[in-house]
Amino acid sequence: MSSQPLRHWLAAATRCRRQALRPATGLGQVRCINFTAGAEVPLETVDDWTQFQLDRADFKTLVQTFSEFGSTQNRENTFQPHHPLHRPVAPSQATISALLASGAHFGHSKSLMNTNFTPYAYGVRAGITVIDLDTTLPLLRRAAQVVRAIAAKDGIIVFVGTRPDLRSAVRKAAERLEGQGFHVGEKWLPGTLTNRLSMYSSEVNKERRVIPDLVIFLNPVANIHAIRECAIEHIPTIGIVDSNVDPRIVMYPIPANDESTRTAELIAGILSVAGREGVALKREEEQRIKGKARAAAKFLQRAREQADVSL
Amino acid sequence: MFNLLRLHARPATSALQTARRCYATAFVPPASLTEGMTSPLPVKPKVKPDSPTFYTARAGYFDGLTALEDAITDTRRALTALQLLPLPQSVRKALPPLQPVWHTKDTLAGHLSAIVTTSKYRRYIRVLDQLNEYRQIAEIAGVVELAENLADIITSFERENKEAVLAHGKKKPVQFDEYGRSYTLGRRKESTARVWVIPVKTPEAAVSQSALQTESPGELSHFIPQPLTIPTKILPVTTTNIIVNNAPFIEYFPQLTDRERAILPLKIAGLLGAYNVFAIVRGGGTTGQSGALSLGIAKGLAAHVPEVAAILAKAKLLRRDPRMVERKKTGLAKSHKAGVHLRLPRFTLDNEGKTKAGLEYENKPNDSRE
Repeated sequence: MSSQPLRHWLAAATRCRRQALRPATGLGQVRCINFTAGAEVPLETVDDWTQFQLDRADFKTLVQTFSEFGSTQNRENTFQPHHPLHRPVAPSQATISALLASGAHFGHSKSLMNTNFTPYAYGVRAGITVIDLDTTLPLLRRAAQVVRAIAAKDGIIVFVGTRPDLRSAVRKAAERLEGQGFHVGEKWLPGTLTNRLSMYSSEVNKERRVIPDLVIFLNPVANIHAIRECAIEHIPTIGIVDSNVDPRIVMYPIPANDESTRTAELIAGILSVAGREGVALKREEEQRIKGKARAAAKFLQRAREQADVSL
Repeated sequence: MFNLLRLHARPATSALQTARRCYATAFVPPASLTEGMTSPLPVKPKVKPDSPTFYTARAGYFDGLTALEDAITDTRRALTALQLLPLPQSVRKALPPLQPVWHTKDTLAGHLSAIVTTSKYRRYIRVLDQLNEYRQIAEIAGVVELAENLADIITSFERENKEAVLAHGKKKPVQFDEYGRSYTLGRRKESTARVWVIPVKTPEAAVSQSALQTESPGELSHFIPQPLTIPTKILPVTTTNIIVNNAPFIEYFPQLTDRERAILPLKIAGLLGAYNVFAIVRGGGTTGQSGALSLGIAKGLAAHVPEVAAILAKAKLLRRDPRMVERKKTGLAKSHKAGVHLRLPRFTLDNEGKTKAGLEYENKPNDSRE
């Protein structure tokens, strides 16, 4: 009816639509750089692929060059999620802040708290039991001492973590102990220890040490049968106990959050580094004994030679 | 020790109680006695288990799996360094599809010497598929060494008869023997023809001069226009010899229609004279046998000269004629032919076996329709 639009917001909307209908041409329309846009050309020959690789490498170098003018915080000097797994902490360097950062102090809800866990509980916040890390840290160090001592005596140590996210942690921990470290990243088959005569062949039972000397549980609640088997076979156990669990199920409990992957990786890392130290101690001891034996043999040899000479 | 105390405490017993045992020394349980025992056998010191996954009780499987997963991790790192990963979706879709033929569950269990359940097998295969994908990317991009190493791993997990499995259901290509002969089978109605098609050996083409050129040019030779002396090849005309059941073609198929039916594939392909045929036909009659021979010849020609297969298919000569003699049905004289159309009197028998009219019948009269 009038030259002015009746509904001003509708006019604005129509203007936007008109803009959208116009084809996007010219550099001014480009909103972002898409480096994969070059790959829309079909890659047929090996030369095409080589060009594709070179284009990507160019883009990467461009990003790297300009990163120098960016933030001083970069991938190398900041915490990355893979660090607890690949860069384990030594037991002497374990701190409460590291445990806190990994979320080790989060327990389960207040209603689910086990009464025997009370000594390790700090309090309740937002309906969740907070675990006292002042008790966790010494118990963790004690467990590390146990691991080191058993490893130094050529003991077999088994890391058990039966969740998918714990698989890599137990594997890496076992690898640090070389020949003495073993891991169970999948379901613990019932009867592995108590029914070992059926599980393993008679040759294995006769020639190998089937019973381990220490078992470490990163998720004891899911492996209660394994814990019971260890108790039947009188094997010392270490385990991460959460607030809904009775800490007495394992011999050396470590009160911490059993649902956090980072906490499990941190604790497994600390214990495996202690184990590695124990293995090194064992090797030193063996070298020392060998050296002593060699010295004794030399002494005897010299004594015999002197006796021969005197005769 | 307690026995000793008991001895001292009690006074001398009566004769009846002398049966109770008395020990001069303290009681020692038998297991602790070493008297009279020879030195025990030397106990071999037990060794630790080899595999770090020993306590899973499926060490063979998990060791194999972790080795493959490590290979994947290393390959991924290498391909990322070479800027090949992450691959854009458009490029990934354009890659040719992979057709691996992995070992069966039982074979895998045998190789890994461990119990492999279906879920474990599927997990293993998923890992192998991922590794195969990376191998394909490396191969296509021209990373030769990495692709070869991965191919070594992959082929060790693939079945030996991979080609046979992939070719299952597809038509087997016709094999030629050492003399270049094809062997094909043709069927029509109840006849079977085993056909060997052999290419005819063409003799050396004789090169001759033009017939019009004179041997000795005469006086008037320069007046007679000399035709261009282009040496022409006289191509020898070869014939297709057909032997059926050790008899010449004409003898075996005296009817012209049968002979024409048999050689039609050669005519349509334009290969009459290029191939000889040897056939053994069995079963059926003349039409069936000539039709079977035709199909056998057509298949043989398609094997020798693949370009000809299209035109033979268009002429439906490569099709096994599915028409067979239709069966006879009950109540009819032949497959379709009914008997004489009779209007038989309808009657029923009462309990005594008599009709309404009082007639007795031991058996029902013969009904041709039954």
